Amino acid sequence: MKLPLDWMREFVEVPDNPAQVAERLAGCGFEVASVDGAVIDFEITANRPDCLSVYGLAREAATSFDLNLKDEPSGKARTGSAGIPVSVGDPGCGRYAATVADVTIGPSPAWLADRLTAAGVRPINNIVDVTNYVMLEAGHPMHAFDAAKLAGPEIRVRRARKDESLKTLDGVTRTLDETMLVIADRERAIAVAGVMGGAATEVSESTKRVVIESAWFVPTSVRATGRKLGLKTEASARFERGADPTAPARTLRRALDLIEQIGAGKAVGGVSDVCPRPHEARKTVLSRARLARLLGDRVPDNDVQRILTRLGFGPTPATDGWAVVVPAFRIDVSREADLIEEVGRHWGFNRLPATFPPLRTPPRPIAPAVARDRRLRRILCGAGLQETCTFTFMEREAAQPFTTGDGQVVAILNPLSEKFAVLRPSLLPGLLDSLIYSRRRETDDVTLFELGAAFLPAGEITRAAWLLTGERLSHWSGNAGAVDLFDAIGIVELIGEALGVRLTAESTDARPWFVRGRAADVFAGSIGGGSERRLVGSVGELRADLVSGRGLAQGAGVVGGEIDLAALDTDAVASIRRIDPLPRYPSIVRDLSLFVSDRLPAADVRATIRSTAPDTLVAVHEFDRYAGKGVPDGMVSLSLRLTFRDPAKTLTDTDVQRGVDAIVAALAARHGAQLRGR
Amino acid sequence: MSAIDSLRKEFESALASATTVATLKAVRDDFLSRKNGRVTALLKAVGSAPADERRALGADANALKQAIEVALDTREAELSASAPVKGAMDVTLPGRVPRIGRRHPLTIVRERVEDIFAGMGYQIIDGPELEDDWHNFEALNMPPEHPARDMQDTLYLSEPVPARGSRLATLLRTHTSGMQIRYMEQNQPPVRVIAPGRVYRRDNIDATHTPMFTQIEGLVVDEGISLADLKGTLNTFAERFFGKGVATRFRPSFFPYTEPSAELDTQCQSCHGSGCPLCKHTGWIELLGCGMVHPAVFESVGYDSEKYTGFAFGCGIERLAMRLYGIDDIRMFYENDARFLRQVEL
Repeated sequence: MKLPLDWMREFVEVPDNPAQVAERLAGCGFEVASVDGAVIDFEITANRPDCLSVYGLAREAATSFDLNLKDEPSGKARTGSAGIPVSVGDPGCGRYAATVADVTIGPSPAWLADRLTAAGVRPINNIVDVTNYVMLEAGHPMHAFDAAKLAGPEIRVRRARKDESLKTLDGVTRTLDETMLVIADRERAIAVAGVMGGAATEVSESTKRVVIESAWFVPTSVRATGRKLGLKTEASARFERGADPTAPARTLRRALDLIEQIGAGKAVGGVSDVCPRPHEARKTVLSRARLARLLGDRVPDNDVQRILTRLGFGPTPATDGWAVVVPAFRIDVSREADLIEEVGRHWGFNRLPATFPPLRTPPRPIAPAVARDRRLRRILCGAGLQETCTFTFMEREAAQPFTTGDGQVVAILNPLSEKFAVLRPSLLPGLLDSLIYSRRRETDDVTLFELGAAFLPAGEITRAAWLLTGERLSHWSGNAGAVDLFDAIGIVELIGEALGVRLTAESTDARPWFVRGRAADVFAGSIGGGSERRLVGSVGELRADLVSGRGLAQGAGVVGGEIDLAALDTDAVASIRRIDPLPRYPSIVRDLSLFVSDRLPAADVRATIRSTAPDTLVAVHEFDRYAGKGVPDGMVSLSLRLTFRDPAKTLTDTDVQRGVDAIVAALAARHGAQLRGR
Repeated sequence: MSAIDSLRKEFESALASATTVATLKAVRDDFLSRKNGRVTALLKAVGSAPADERRALGADANALKQAIEVALDTREAELSASAPVKGAMDVTLPGRVPRIGRRHPLTIVRERVEDIFAGMGYQIIDGPELEDDWHNFEALNMPPEHPARDMQDTLYLSEPVPARGSRLATLLRTHTSGMQIRYMEQNQPPVRVIAPGRVYRRDNIDATHTPMFTQIEGLVVDEGISLADLKGTLNTFAERFFGKGVATRFRPSFFPYTEPSAELDTQCQSCHGSGCPLCKHTGWIELLGCGMVHPAVFESVGYDSEKYTGFAFGCGIERLAMRLYGIDDIRMFYENDARFLRQVEL
């Protein structure tokens, strides 16, 4: 709302100092966008349509500066009928006032045109300019029709008919529907109520007689219609926030006075005022105690009285506070809290003391998921992964390869652009774009992770995802080699260790974004054992065509994985595991080197060993896997280290050998494994 | 000059020119070798000297021998100390620094805000990013067609998606306030929570806007909570976040879910209030929105609005991070350029 200061000074004698007035009103809740010469541009919040006007802002300034405010111009009394029949046939219109004037269309006088220009409104002709002037002065929109172009002439306020169309003032022909309120003549719609007039009845240079309307429409109806038509106007902005229901007749009289004052025409009769829903003044109470309790300080009674009175309220002192009549223009005030705000903002928030609320109960602990994410972030950073934040929406095409099953993604109804059309079904595509962004900007070794939500038609899932490419460690003495699948699998194991969940990988073909044969599903089972297994994620090497498709040169291997954090048991995270006492007897270690089929999963070998071994077997781990020279075709040499220990005594070689023999026999029987060198 | 003196002189010049362990050994052999050493020869010659001179000569010759031995040993120690050691390493070469990742700057700032409030007794909570109309709007005193809905241009889902609770999610949350509604629906006062998370608005991307950003909101509900309490709390936050002595001011504003509503400004840290382009020459920069919880919100969640009052506040993490790190383009947070992220503190 652009306010020329001299216009405000017609109503209140604030200092002739735009900066000072701007600062004062900013302190009362009217943010200043700019001060340009003697014009102050205010950002009016959605609750204050009354201040989309010079007079409304003058009222605020009068309160802030504690100055007298002149009465609002309301035009001289006019008698007789307007000279046009008006009927209101829908509850969406609470009041409709109309008047008729004979006019001579021409330019406005300079003072009027200049004021409009200063306020940011383009002068058009004397009649349209008067309606705009009154709208800016009083905050109430008005509209003038060319009376000669109205069938009847007659005004009917009604709902639009199905598929009724109207060419609006902006030249667009719009199809209306039955939810929309229109102003019509005897035959057709001539304006979208509260939004925009029609082109056919527009005031033109040849207009001799005008019908001027000033009405009140139900705010939600105007907003819904404007939204459906994609139309926002000065009028709809005021009506949808809530105009003053008592303003129509008053503003029409003011417009007639102005028309006669500038010699643009003469009223034919009086003002017709159809008021199916008369305004009833709201009354509410303001308790002195609750005012003090909410603000945290006492405001003297006479200041409360002064502020409310200057703002147009009618406060009547009562024993414990005030009975307050709310003025019709304050559509936003309906209850005590609203009055407390009025007093508070003009008393000054900055004058209130600063206190600290007492803590009466013990603070509650951090939410488990928040604690889990914090811990996981620190562990993954410590493991050399960089945290990233990527957008959760993306192109449909980039999302599609990261879906399973029917390929459904969660789509956005009103996306900003195709780049943000769907919600990510996985965190990996966003990480891939980030990884490529860095690869193309002088960083070859990129190791990233992100914690965040992925979105599936079944709902939203919190995940951890990671993606690695380049060298493990670059050093002048030689690099540690390029990252591969097992770096990505290692992160799975780390996350399991960090969150106290046993995570295991199993080969899968059901993750189409990974290379076939280099993809695994990840299952969770609690570390305590237990047979319950849940699919919680996947890990693998990204398909080369996906990587190159997003712009990274061929040949750079990218590996990564993703875990559903919510699917892990967060209670297990909170519980601390007991620490086992240290062993009292030494362990015995035996290494086995076996030829096994190169298709046999190491997990199967491990399972056979565990199921055959005596209880004294405490650990199994693979320390070498080799194929090539000296190993038969289709076989690999797999070397495992078995550690045996008895908690109660020192084991003998004989004890251990018996166990090893049984293991070797079982491996031979179940997997055709041969002990190397035999 | 006696023979001893001239031998000493010769030794001194030979010693001076011996700069390696090898040449020093040659000097040692030349003077002290058992077979051909010149000092050895001198000592042998003592026996053939006249008897009255023998004693003095012998003492002098022995003294010379000892002096030469000490000088040679000293020099040898010096030379071997400065000689290259086998297996020596150039310690000025870079070490193998273990690879370490850093938290994202938005995480760092978010946790910093969380920790300030956790220290004041707030519980950190989380909640869903996909919301229903009730939790995002209606319960917050924004019924359908409420004009304040325009303040937060909303992204809607094409199809509803199952969510926590009984309602289907239909939109991307425009603020984290929905979490507060969920919390109040499940917990009775007193309430003291901080709710961080990603939020979405239908804003075009530019240097100061992204359609997704991070918000953190706080809520306190109890008997007798006042606007003065809100001021004290937020002044403490501003001081702990920006450092002691930061000036603040509260301006009335409007949010549908608070009444009264305010915005908190802090003095521009760039010009210290004298006005500069960063603060648009006002001397102040907006930090957050806040206010006293609207009684209609309490009524939505079944709290007794006569008995309880409360305050709420919310701010954008990106804005805070931009001020803290001196960044003027919000898009940098979402590009994840390694050259940007590796400048962040560990």
